[in-house]
Amino acid sequence: MSSIIFNQKISSDYYRMRILCPKIASRAKAGQFIMLRASKLFDPLLRRPFGIHRLCHEKDKYTLKSSPSCIEILYKVVGKGTLILSAKKKDEEIDLIGPLGNGFYLRQNIETAVLVAGGIGVAPLFSLAQTLKGIKGKSTFRTELIVFIGGEKKEDILCLNDFKKVGAKVIISTEDGSSGTKGLVTDLLVNFLSDYPPLKTRNLKFFGCGPLPMLRTLSEIALSRDVPCQISFESRMACGVGACQGCTVTTGISKKGVGEILYQRVCKEGPVFDSTSILWD
Amino acid sequence: MKQLHKKVDLSVDIGGIKMRNPVMAASGTFGYGEEYEDYTPIGRLGALITKGISLKPHSGNPPPRLVETTGGMLNAIGLQNIGVKALIEEKIPNLKKSGVPIIVNIFGATIREYGEVAKRLEGVNAINGLEVNISCPNIKKGGISFGTDPGQVFKVVSRVRESSSLPVMVKLSPNVSDVTTIARSAEEAGADALSLINTLTGMAVDVSTRTPKLGNITGGLSGPAIKPVALRMVWEVYNEVNIPVVGLGGIFSTDDALEFIVVGASAIQVGTANFVNPRTSIEVITGIENYLKDHKMNNIQDLVGSLDTSAFSIL
Repeated sequence: MSSIIFNQKISSDYYRMRILCPKIASRAKAGQFIMLRASKLFDPLLRRPFGIHRLCHEKDKYTLKSSPSCIEILYKVVGKGTLILSAKKKDEEIDLIGPLGNGFYLRQNIETAVLVAGGIGVAPLFSLAQTLKGIKGKSTFRTELIVFIGGEKKEDILCLNDFKKVGAKVIISTEDGSSGTKGLVTDLLVNFLSDYPPLKTRNLKFFGCGPLPMLRTLSEIALSRDVPCQISFESRMACGVGACQGCTVTTGISKKGVGEILYQRVCKEGPVFDSTSILWD
Repeated sequence: MKQLHKKVDLSVDIGGIKMRNPVMAASGTFGYGEEYEDYTPIGRLGALITKGISLKPHSGNPPPRLVETTGGMLNAIGLQNIGVKALIEEKIPNLKKSGVPIIVNIFGATIREYGEVAKRLEGVNAINGLEVNISCPNIKKGGISFGTDPGQVFKVVSRVRESSSLPVMVKLSPNVSDVTTIARSAEEAGADALSLINTLTGMAVDVSTRTPKLGNITGGLSGPAIKPVALRMVWEVYNEVNIPVVGLGGIFSTDDALEFIVVGASAIQVGTANFVNPRTSIEVITGIENYLKDHKMNNIQDLVGSLDTSAFSIL
């Protein structure tokens, strides 16, 4: 059993929970997730998946030590499970399974990482920012981080200061204009790229998490500019370990030169996928 | 003075499938076993029933494939599976190492296909039995489920029976008007055991978009919500056939399992509960053992079908 260090409201309907779980935290990678059981009774019935938002210790806030003892999850109250979760208090025990899935693929040195988040999609991208700032590649420089955060309104823009504290440049948009530029975050990205030196575009890598229409546009932008793009998917899940096959996304593969549809499990083959493998229609 | 405790005998023989305890992992909820190796000692299960397998791989239904409903979940996976060849070559060898009795769940789109899959599994080392899923659509009959027609059930089961020397357990669909008719057809066709129930067909709608919550529109309901229906059907079938009945449908605890055994199940399967708590089966095995000790019973057989209805009049 793991226990809650804190469970705080950070914006309207949004909460951040830090959980002491050394076995999970010490093995976790950015982009992986946990399955959490909100109630010991059977309502809600299934566990809920949450992306690992941050790796940390009980006290520290922003540094990534060699072996973290805690994880944080970031969640929005949208239904029964998250409502029950939001009422949980410090020191309560909580039932987790994890870390699950594959994290972001970070084998090569990344010169400039562009993170694109929609609403609660910032959740796994913050742990990615932490990791990228912690990795020292073969080169002497560290990854430059540019983070785009979009939401409907000001209250949906989360973790702005957290990203700034790890040294990221943060660009904000809201649909109602209550914070940052008015409009869609993907439009901001397009503007940003049009001013970006063409020769430097090949050093970019995109990472996205958010609503499906946003992810689709992001993958089209990436494809048109030949920028590699990793997407972290959300899905309803039952088991989280690959057994039920309920959480699939539609991907295309080439089998002996012939295109074929392959339903891949978000929990097992994902949750992070190369954007070019996804069939959006 | 120390009391000598007689060891409780939990072993069962389900139509020729010998198990050290009556608790199995239900098909489709335990993958091919390996998915749960890190979370529970699968070697202690009475048996493990693999994800339904067909002659050729199936890609399954488009997402979304599952949605939670009150007290249950709907799924429309669409029988996605790797095909019988890959099962034999890639999954069985690993599963064999755990020492758990393996029952392979099979299905087909035609009667011929059922027979073909059964034949392919003939003689494969470490397979202890077959479970026949008759709830899938019959493409030659316009997609209507084999399991709703006693004549079709007889044909499917006969074909599997003549294609295999393994014990054959037939998994019954609850989406029928009289489950006992179907049960009798399966028995007459040579089934060694029956398992029930498969999921109940249901649906869920997103009213904000007025769209179905499942890509397949309808799906199969499982979980605690279906347990009363499952119990009633197990009880009806138990009173009608002379082969062992295996109960499943919403078993999440020892008491749930005991209810099924009392109404006539010789063994039980844990399904959806595996998703919530992968250790459910292990907890149920211990729980049944403790129940028998507490009630001074030495053998699980003494409990099977022990429902006392004497105080109630049945018309």
